[in-house]
Amino acid sequence: MKPRPPKWPLRFLRWFCREDYLDEIEGDITEIFLRRHEHSPAKARRQFLWNVLKHFRPEFIKPMKFKLHYNRRSMIRNYFKTSSRNLVRNRSYAFINIAGLAIGVAVCMMIFIIIQFQTSFDDFHTKKDRIYRVLTEYHHADAASISYGKGIPFPMPAGLKTAFPQIEQVAPVYASHNDQLQVLDVNGAPVKNFKEQSGVFYTGPSFFNIFDFPLLAGSYTSLKDPNNVLLTKEIAETYFGDWKTAIGRTLKLTGSYRIGAGLFQSPPIALKVSGILATIPANTDFQLKLVIAFGTDFTGDKIYGLQNPDWDGTSPDFGCYVLMPPNISVGNFDQQLRAYSREVQPPDNKDSYIIQPLSAVHYDTETGNYSNKTISHELINVLWLIAAFILLIACVNFINLSTAQAVNRAKEVGVRKVLGSNKSQLQMQFIVEAFLIVTSAVVLAAAIAILALPSVNRLLEVSLSFNVLNNPAIILFLLTVTIVVTALAGFYPSIVLSRFNPVNALKSKLTMNTAKGISLRRGLVVFQFVIAQALIIGTLIIVKQMNYFMNQPLGFDKDAIVNIPFRPDSTGGKLTDYLRQQLLSVNGVRAVSFSSNTPVEDGNDIWSAFRYGHAIKEADFNAIVKFADDEYVPTYKLQLIAGRNLQPSGPTREFLVNESLVKSLGLKKPEDILNKKISIWGDRIKCPVVGVLKDFNDRSFRHDLAPLLIATNATMYRQAGIKLATANISSTMQSVKRIWEQTFPDYVYEYKFLDDKIESFYKQENQLAQLYKIFAAIAIFLSCLGLYGLASFMAVQRIKEVGIRKVLGATAANIVYLFSKEFIVLIMVAFVIATPIAWFYMHKWLQDYVYRIDIDWWVFAAGGLVAIIIALATISFQAIKAALADPVKSLRVE
Amino acid sequence: MKHPSIGEFEELVLLMVAALHDEAYGVSIQENLVEKLSKNINISAIHVALKRMEDKGFVKSRFGGITEDRGGRRKKYYVITALGKRMLDSQYELRTGLYKMIPKISFS
Repeated sequence: MKPRPPKWPLRFLRWFCREDYLDEIEGDITEIFLRRHEHSPAKARRQFLWNVLKHFRPEFIKPMKFKLHYNRRSMIRNYFKTSSRNLVRNRSYAFINIAGLAIGVAVCMMIFIIIQFQTSFDDFHTKKDRIYRVLTEYHHADAASISYGKGIPFPMPAGLKTAFPQIEQVAPVYASHNDQLQVLDVNGAPVKNFKEQSGVFYTGPSFFNIFDFPLLAGSYTSLKDPNNVLLTKEIAETYFGDWKTAIGRTLKLTGSYRIGAGLFQSPPIALKVSGILATIPANTDFQLKLVIAFGTDFTGDKIYGLQNPDWDGTSPDFGCYVLMPPNISVGNFDQQLRAYSREVQPPDNKDSYIIQPLSAVHYDTETGNYSNKTISHELINVLWLIAAFILLIACVNFINLSTAQAVNRAKEVGVRKVLGSNKSQLQMQFIVEAFLIVTSAVVLAAAIAILALPSVNRLLEVSLSFNVLNNPAIILFLLTVTIVVTALAGFYPSIVLSRFNPVNALKSKLTMNTAKGISLRRGLVVFQFVIAQALIIGTLIIVKQMNYFMNQPLGFDKDAIVNIPFRPDSTGGKLTDYLRQQLLSVNGVRAVSFSSNTPVEDGNDIWSAFRYGHAIKEADFNAIVKFADDEYVPTYKLQLIAGRNLQPSGPTREFLVNESLVKSLGLKKPEDILNKKISIWGDRIKCPVVGVLKDFNDRSFRHDLAPLLIATNATMYRQAGIKLATANISSTMQSVKRIWEQTFPDYVYEYKFLDDKIESFYKQENQLAQLYKIFAAIAIFLSCLGLYGLASFMAVQRIKEVGIRKVLGATAANIVYLFSKEFIVLIMVAFVIATPIAWFYMHKWLQDYVYRIDIDWWVFAAGGLVAIIIALATISFQAIKAALADPVKSLRVE
Repeated sequence: MKHPSIGEFEELVLLMVAALHDEAYGVSIQENLVEKLSKNINISAIHVALKRMEDKGFVKSRFGGITEDRGGRRKKYYVITALGKRMLDSQYELRTGLYKMIPKISFS
């Protein structure tokens, strides 16, 4: 065997060298190579390469060819023509391709719009790079754990301003909830009542020096004076009809607010409209409605109000934003804040403070923000991943169908090659065809996206818009998708199709050669079903966890209980007694209890440090404090395991505790705590424990049970809990409403069923579950669309085979089995791959919940079974059609 | 038409083509030149010189038969043309004429 010259240099030489010199040059250097090779092969190779490179000079290089020049344009026109003819001829194939791609692209586009919206939050402020939020770094008793919160102590903003003169602006922000607003007419008589769940902010003019919220009328500086309020244009129109007449008018505000460890009642305060803000953009976490001057004393109480000088308490609603000078070092400033907190805080308070850039606020799911809309970077990545996968599934359909179709196109390719087409021209033709399909799919996708947008907005509670004209990023995105998908989906088929040997193609001998293509197609089908099945399994697990949230016994009664907030009782119990008597007289009301809140709350609890018995120091853990009357236990069916229920009382006299508290204190038996005294709020309340409640879930399933104290205190009751008989609920509710409106004529009546409220704790999970359902459905739909295409193609390809089999006695069932067998195997393989992937990710997801389901084997089995059944249904249509066809028809013509 | 000129290296290659009469092709020319000059010459230099001289009409070429030693490529044989021979003659005359003009002084 003769040694061969190195392959790549030789190829290079043949590529660049003129044909008429090639014999001489290649011959000569090969001869030299062979002679050398006898002495030293390695050296011979090196020299060969060197000789080739030395010949790479103008004399020997082929002249540049532009031979396509004269007919390129007309050829491209021809490609478009034949491509569109071909699409029209194979209508169903074109439909499957375009529809599949369009759905994939539409999903991608939706996700792109969602992510674009989510990542645009608060990026319109001109000074955004210098805006920071102050966070509290809580150091817990068990020194190891640190957590962060958006609430800060009340003296903080003023303190920052004096201690750090380099800070350009400091804006304290207090977000109020559930405010009642009464619109007064020019004479001061009440006109209408409104209730704002959120959007009422207390801040100063500095807020508007930091953030860009333009003003239509009035001035920001009016916020220096107490009792001035800025309204947004929308709110002004709702309240006063026309925003232009709103300036100077008066509103009466009644707030129920919560600071530190207490719930407080605000006396009605008069607010004067001193400015109108332009419409607040959707992409900001400050969904302002009313902005009230920070100095407004809405608490009537300097000790617990915004002027509270106490460094010990924080409220999640009270925060602070600062405008820093350019190029500050965050780490350095945090150090300074730490030193500062040591200086101003009492020594036993180890909490410290940090600043967080504005750009991180919308993604901070731990501390949250004022809009309660955050999105983790992790979720954004998952969305991108899903978008990419769905697009890939759609591309795979395209590749599978085009390569499967290849045999039908073989004659055309053969004829074109015989007539002088070269490979690159044929590739061009098939790329053009792919481009046509992708373009129509993208246009269709845009239409789908526009139609689907309102439902997506409703589902996610956002206000997305699809406006191609003023959103250049979308145009760019669509162009990129078009190009990437054309390349991804068109490239491989074009290579396969252009590779045909024209002689074989024209002799119809190609069916043998496509075996290799089938194995790739199999791989792609497996890939599709891996994604689809993983999504199905994931969805099943999320839905199961959601059901667990809703159906797991909480340890108390949540059915047919309605909660109605009301104005705090300042009459020492007379009002609640009257209400109770009225309500109990309604037929269908079983029990009535007044309390600060319901047995289970999600982040809406009062937490307090407390001291047990004769201990000198406070216990090293905090407990939730709920204020409730003696009816609380029977109404919510809480179970006592020791002692007795509370006795009716206006002020606080006795405590109920839960088992967790007893255990956390290290007591052995529940009875041990009875008659021991517990004091909260620095001994302002000190009472004996009279009963121990069996543990119930007092927080969402994300968290473990918390230690709990329950005591009576009529001034702290904010809502009624009414247990209804299950029959005639609507008429009972009518009566309740009437009583309410008579008792509180200037108060907006609203109610919420307890089970609905509990469901709302898991809103994000619910939305996620909905999204996953949609994605899983689309993934399986697209995969089946591809499967349908492949099956129908197979049916056509094997029509003679089926005919012969039937003539030889095969039954219809045999034929259906023949068709299904292969796909079922593929789906099983996909199942084996998908199962561990799905298990891994869902296991990780479930770790977020203290209370969670076990992942059962049947979830996977169900996921696999669903995929197989859907796939079988898809294939069987074609399979049965093929099986029932008359063999005479297929065999008659050869 | 301008009288074609010849470079020094081209002249050497042309001399070798003439000397190897009918056996002159890339590799044989290179080998003999390397042997005579005792310095390394890359084959590409030979090819360039041959191509230029063919354009100038000093040599003409023909293809030989296919041989296995060359990876199935033909040899391209070069022979000197009358014009080439005249060029060599005039160069030779020029050089010997000039040589003879050297005065008979002793080089010690």
